[in-house]
Amino acid sequence: MASKAGDWRNYERVLLPPVKDLHRLDVFENHGGYDALRQALTTEKWNPSSVTEEVKKSGLRGRGGAGFPTGLKWTFMPPANPDIPRFICCNADESEPGTFKDRQVMEYNPHRIFEGMILAGYAMTIKTAYLYVRGEYADWITHMERELEKAYAKGYVGKNIMGSDFSMDIVIHKGAGAYICGEESSLMNSLEGKRAYPRIKPPFPAQKGIWNYPTTINNVETFAHVPLILSRGADWFSSIGAPSSPGPVLYGISGHVNRPGVYEYPSGMLISDLIDHVAGGMRGGKKLKAVVPGGSSVPVLRADMIDGVAMDPDSLREAGSMLGTAGMLVMDEDTDMVSFLRRITRFYHHESCGQCTPCREGTGWLENIVTRIDEGEGNMKDLDLLIDLCSQMEGRTVCALADAAAWPVRHTITRFREEFEAKCRPSLVATHVESAAV
Amino acid sequence: MPKITIDNRTIEVEDGVTLLQSCLDEDLEIPHFCYHPAMTAPANCRQCLVEVGMPRVDRETRERVMDEDGNPVIDFMPKLQTSCSMKVADGMVVRSHRTSELVKRAQKDNLEFLLINHPLDCPICDQAGNCPLQNQTYKYGPEGSRFEFRKVAKPKNIELGPRVVLDGERCINCTRCTRFTQEISGSHQLTIIERGVRNYPMTPPGVVFDEPYSMNVIDICPVGALTSKDHRFKARIWEMSQTPSISTTNAKGSNCVYHVKDNLVLNITTRTNMGVNEFWLADEDRLDYKKFNENRPDGPTVRGQARDWDAAWTEAATLLSGVDGARIQFLGSAHATTEDNYLLSRLAAHVGADTPSYIPHIEEGHGDGWLRTDDRAPNSQGCERLGFFPVDADVLKSRLSAGEIDVLYVMEDDPVGTGVCALSDLEGVKIILHHYHSTNATLPAASVALPAAMAVETVGTFVNCDGHAQRLRPAKAIRGVNRTLAMEVGKSRADLHGTPFDRWYTESNMVDCEPGWVSIPAIAERVGLNLSYKGPRAIMAELSDSNPAFQGATYDAMGEWGFRLDVVGQSEPHPQTA
Ligand SMILES: Cc1cc2nc3c(=O)[nH]c(=O)nc-3n(C[C@H](O)[C@H](O)[C@H](O)COP(=O)(O)O)c2cc1C
Ligand code: SF4
Ligand code: SF4
Ligand code: FES
Repeated sequence: MASKAGDWRNYERVLLPPVKDLHRLDVFENHGGYDALRQALTTEKWNPSSVTEEVKKSGLRGRGGAGFPTGLKWTFMPPANPDIPRFICCNADESEPGTFKDRQVMEYNPHRIFEGMILAGYAMTIKTAYLYVRGEYADWITHMERELEKAYAKGYVGKNIMGSDFSMDIVIHKGAGAYICGEESSLMNSLEGKRAYPRIKPPFPAQKGIWNYPTTINNVETFAHVPLILSRGADWFSSIGAPSSPGPVLYGISGHVNRPGVYEYPSGMLISDLIDHVAGGMRGGKKLKAVVPGGSSVPVLRADMIDGVAMDPDSLREAGSMLGTAGMLVMDEDTDMVSFLRRITRFYHHESCGQCTPCREGTGWLENIVTRIDEGEGNMKDLDLLIDLCSQMEGRTVCALADAAAWPVRHTITRFREEFEAKCRPSLVATHVESAAV
Repeated sequence: MPKITIDNRTIEVEDGVTLLQSCLDEDLEIPHFCYHPAMTAPANCRQCLVEVGMPRVDRETRERVMDEDGNPVIDFMPKLQTSCSMKVADGMVVRSHRTSELVKRAQKDNLEFLLINHPLDCPICDQAGNCPLQNQTYKYGPEGSRFEFRKVAKPKNIELGPRVVLDGERCINCTRCTRFTQEISGSHQLTIIERGVRNYPMTPPGVVFDEPYSMNVIDICPVGALTSKDHRFKARIWEMSQTPSISTTNAKGSNCVYHVKDNLVLNITTRTNMGVNEFWLADEDRLDYKKFNENRPDGPTVRGQARDWDAAWTEAATLLSGVDGARIQFLGSAHATTEDNYLLSRLAAHVGADTPSYIPHIEEGHGDGWLRTDDRAPNSQGCERLGFFPVDADVLKSRLSAGEIDVLYVMEDDPVGTGVCALSDLEGVKIILHHYHSTNATLPAASVALPAAMAVETVGTFVNCDGHAQRLRPAKAIRGVNRTLAMEVGKSRADLHGTPFDRWYTESNMVDCEPGWVSIPAIAERVGLNLSYKGPRAIMAELSDSNPAFQGATYDAMGEWGFRLDVVGQSEPHPQTA
């Protein structure tokens, strides 16, 4: 396995280009902003289906974590019927630990998101688009509302966009303050003013989405890629990075590296390149111990498992993990994996919506046990019980949160079992001897 | 109709139904909690998991792919599926816990999860003995628990409203109660609050759970999280006998179950009848039981003096024989059974009196187009169909004051208490009164007072506001020995694991009263009219034969679910009579 990112050192950033004040509409316009939209709406070359075709051809895959082909998703929408409302929604609920890339786009390139949403709306004949932003991102909501207003004023959003007969509104919706709101069906309930409980699928959003009308939901980064796919062409996009999941990627790197942050590079970067060259290497020259490559839900990789592993779905699957959101958590040799897992289990326990029995009850139980082990009160058999509980949760719930809660437990224990055993009480006999001695 | 195979058994199922429902229809039990046939399936309890496979279809030919033996190749879905949310499809192959170790394991795992934070306070829980969680845990659950931590503490003993009390810790978050207020009653008075393992149902801020159907959530709650403020801690389910019958609180005749211990009705819960009340019962129907226990009279009286039945009947007969029939006014009753009203009309005809009228119990604006009606009596339709007219109070009063009435025969009602006339109007009038309560306001004026069996002590027929004829069953015993009643009295029990403990035979709290179909023939016999029937069943058989308004309504036809009578001519407005 090798890097699929080609000549990444000379990669020119497109999503977060080094342009000062790009968030300002005039600056954005001066750098080709809304050009793709103008072309799509005003030239013969483009119509809704050719826009969808181009996105399909580009190979763009969703950047919200599941990696579903975006163009294909758009084709799931039923044929437009003027009597039946339909929606798109941009998922900006970004709450997964280790994932903070969407915020960057919202801050530095908000018009790119709007432009992508309008193009998608045009492709799917949408009149209303929602932008569901994580509630805790209050400052970014204000920021985007301000920029959206300017886009409205300039006729990029709203009635008869750029003088065409296409009209679409964008409504920014402040999220309800829970990780689960980012799960697409839960997001739709939340948007409707209901409790953010995920819905059972099927029906899928394209069949019954917001208010039970056809809906397509995509991630912020996913939408942000669309304008350049149109202006530079699907071929340009698909030639970047790993062929199975091409295009620029926002890598969010956090943890024990010298320069944590969000970095834009081609897909398929080697994990080692990202750590050593992009993020400035391990902090304090420490040795790498573990990497969680795609947000807290995906299986952790030991340092000895990342040799030649690239950040693309195939390579990561082979290595025993997943691409997820490409939000990478890097841990050095001093990291206590039990305490790491304790924090992760706490998160999922806190965030389970509580709808399904295995997730509601299992996430808390997992945290209880891992905490006990971390505090030196655990027993060896707890480790098997943890794995057992994972099996009782995985694949048996309404949404993927239960899987996301179980996988880190299963894989951190199996991949770092010695560390867990070392923290467990040695054995009953030993304890007995000790207390007898007192 | 699609064919599906469940545990190697192929059955034909209704199109469009869920897999769980079609299994339940076939008496193939699949453990479940959140699914309720009247509401959407959120598939959140995850208890009803099964393995589901579909025949493999060739992509080109669209034909089913067959194996070497000529059987369709089945592709099982990689994950277990919730049968409550899965629609049946032709060729579907299902493995439940009966044939799949995987499913068995999953069901056990799920119950282990459900119980880790459950307080397991069954010994003091009202639901115990009749609890889906308890029953299904015994059948499908694990032997013990591996949970070694403090259980989550949640609010307990919370009055969600005037009638329903919540124990948050017992709640398993099935959302049946919240869905009821959203999808069935539409009150939206309950929602789940908090998150994750701290979830429990609650009213939104400033809202009280006081809708007129609030107590239905007690029935549908699969655990003891929601209990009746009125009934909680009063009796264990296995200490009561359960009798399926109908409610008497309004003209809807909602089907219900009477819970009786020591001849006292202690609780009323719903009984499903898709033709009448579906799964639901109004709170007023549930709480209207004290009338069966309290202020009941103790034996007949003549002019205020206790007498035996024989003497009382003879006195009534004497009163009827002594006067011109035209000067006797009979009042039937919308509270009494059709059979008793029919016997009364026969007696009236025999002594030459007019057809009885009846006292209407209308409360304008009370009805809601669902299970509550303006009419607060259960059998006005039965009276109407017998040709009785609602009594006009003014006409009755003017006839009384003109001295046109010598004898007023009142069956199972209270003209004074209902305001039809005043005690002073009745001076000099001889009154024969069948009454339920010693508080009956007409009682002080009664010459002969005959305690009457109430709807929970008799056999008979009520016709509801939609013309649905339904049978009453005796839920508690009366003092006198009566073979017909003894044969019909409820002996069913809702608890499945208890000991034989039926209390219906106890001597305590029996009321010394007689049903109309005993008293009226006894009086009739004394005025020379033979009204002896082999019980109400025979009376109804005659009525269903002879009166088109009751055509076909035999006891067999009514059975458990009632019988829809033909609409009879009611286009003409009622002449007002007395
Ligand atoms: C528990 C949970 C949380 C999620 N949170 C987010 C999120 O914050 N942002 C996001 O874009 N997708 C999130 N997703 C994924 C969405 O459900 C959905 O797949 C995604 O928004 C689709 O967009 P894409 O096709 O552009 O990736 C989450 C999924 C789960 C199961
Ligand atoms: S898996 Fe967890 S988060 Fe998802 S719906 Fe079920 S309880 Fe809620
Ligand atoms: S209170 Fe009962 S009905 Fe309501 S959610 Fe809890 S278990 Fe279900
Ligand atoms: S009954 Fe199917 S998940 Fe609850």
